[in-house]
Amino acid sequence: MQNGKASGNGTIVELKNVVKNYGELKAVDGISLTIPSGICYALLGPNGAGKSTLSKMIGAMLAADGGSLNVVGFDPWKCQSEVKTRLGVVLQDDAFDEDLDVWSNLEIYGMFFWLRGDAFKEKMRGLLRFMELDGRENKPIQELSGGMRRRLMIARALLNDPQLLILDEPTTGLDPQVRHAIWSTLRKLKAAGMTILLTTHYMEEAAQLADRVGIMNKGRLIAEDTPEGLIETNLPKFVLEFDAQEIPSATAALVKDLKAEQHGDRGFAFSPDEPLLLSALRDHRLRDGTVRRASLEDVFLKLTGRSLDE
Amino acid sequence: MSRPAEEAHRAAVDASAPPALMAPPPMPSRLNRVLAVWYRHYRVYCTSLIANATPAVLEPLFFQIAIGFGVGRYLDRTFNGLDYATFMAPGILGMTALYTASFEATHATFVRMRYQKTYSAMLATPLTRQDIFLGELLWCSTKGLLYSAIVACVLALFGNIRSPYAVLIPVAGFFTAMAFAGLSFMVTSVVKNINQFQYYFTAFLTPLIYVSGLMFPVQELPYGLYWGAYFLPMFHVIETFRLVTTGIESTSVSWALYCPFIVLVMALVLGWLGVRAMEKRLTA
Repeated sequence: MQNGKASGNGTIVELKNVVKNYGELKAVDGISLTIPSGICYALLGPNGAGKSTLSKMIGAMLAADGGSLNVVGFDPWKCQSEVKTRLGVVLQDDAFDEDLDVWSNLEIYGMFFWLRGDAFKEKMRGLLRFMELDGRENKPIQELSGGMRRRLMIARALLNDPQLLILDEPTTGLDPQVRHAIWSTLRKLKAAGMTILLTTHYMEEAAQLADRVGIMNKGRLIAEDTPEGLIETNLPKFVLEFDAQEIPSATAALVKDLKAEQHGDRGFAFSPDEPLLLSALRDHRLRDGTVRRASLEDVFLKLTGRSLDE
Repeated sequence: MSRPAEEAHRAAVDASAPPALMAPPPMPSRLNRVLAVWYRHYRVYCTSLIANATPAVLEPLFFQIAIGFGVGRYLDRTFNGLDYATFMAPGILGMTALYTASFEATHATFVRMRYQKTYSAMLATPLTRQDIFLGELLWCSTKGLLYSAIVACVLALFGNIRSPYAVLIPVAGFFTAMAFAGLSFMVTSVVKNINQFQYYFTAFLTPLIYVSGLMFPVQELPYGLYWGAYFLPMFHVIETFRLVTTGIESTSVSWALYCPFIVLVMALVLGWLGVRAMEKRLTA
């Protein structure tokens, strides 16, 4: 299916049983997934889960060792340039030319797509406005803050009107305000119809942006659904989280009565019954305890036995 | 809301509105992709033109002043029928192209790959690994062309350029640079860290230049060693530069007219092998 047509209601990414090995390590171990046009798909998982490797294979930067990939209508490895002409990619390394200014960096990146001329200059201006970098055209890259650099990376990835925007950990290392600003930008893009593939180890990022979340662990896709669906199918609605070391007898009782689980020094008791958890918290006089809604993080913990930031 | 305020508000909203979704551009051709890599290097290079070009041009000129004119004053004989400094000029030009390309294809390429992640950013665009290193090879060759031309202009002022074919010096510089860029890419594709290039420069390139006819005619090497020189790539480079700088009567061997073709073949073969080696080396 070599159609490569502009975004419609089609499928943007279709993976079947994709494998990538680095020597003995199975970085990606048989992943199948589909990303329809116009949604934001988040690959959520800890560092080393294989998210970046998978997104590089989708982005035609890395060959798969097995399985089949179809990205915007092409096999990405066989049609690298065809596919990459249609993608916008934000990697973890920004790799700007530090000696050049913002405008020159965009100009040069545009040339990699053979984009130039007045219409393209207008496009650059529009994207700098959109990413709130207008007025900084002549600033050397060295003088940009971390947040501005990341915004410029997103602007750069949009220069070619991509059919799929791939973002590899777009907010890692940014402070919360900048992170929220980037999320808001990505939401606007999504609302405009952009298809987005996002990798992240921030549960909140996936919950905020994604229409579908695939949870990855050790190279495998262990669960996939809407964020709400993932929580509903895997966990009761509420969770009592407490310090498992605070009162050993209380921990023992919670394990016995509420089937609480212990991960590291934290304890987790799940239940659909919020008042039950609240009364347990009160009865055991746990100071460092809280009752909250179950989150994607809890789903990940339940499915893998470890937390996302391990 | 008052009217001006309303307009200002609308303008603010519009400014941050995402650009409308449009179809991506057509795929750029192979030639355009390779030229785009060249263009990137050209733009970055131009930001510090003087700092970049000055040492690369001054070094061979000091070499000529110190050895060609300085040492040459004490040599009471001719070399291939020329005074010593004029005899040295073709080798100086070859050395300029060699070092320019070799530095660009080792240290500079390694820094772009390992530290600046320039190639990672390029890989996220329509450029393939092969496009990237073909562009890199073209850029190294261009620098060889440019620097040999600049050094030739100064040598002409010294009176060392004797042939009307000297207009072809930049062409010889281009293909010499391509050959040594290809060879250097093969080295870059196997080194583990940037310090290992020292071996290549001090144990291979520098001795190579010294025994290939830069400072004395190779046929004067003792014990038939000159036969060995005929198999060194730099020998053919220097003979080629002799042809275009000081003319056919100043060459060292009777078959000197074949040397430009040997250099051309070396440029294409080594260039291609070097590109292939770097393609395999570059990880995403």
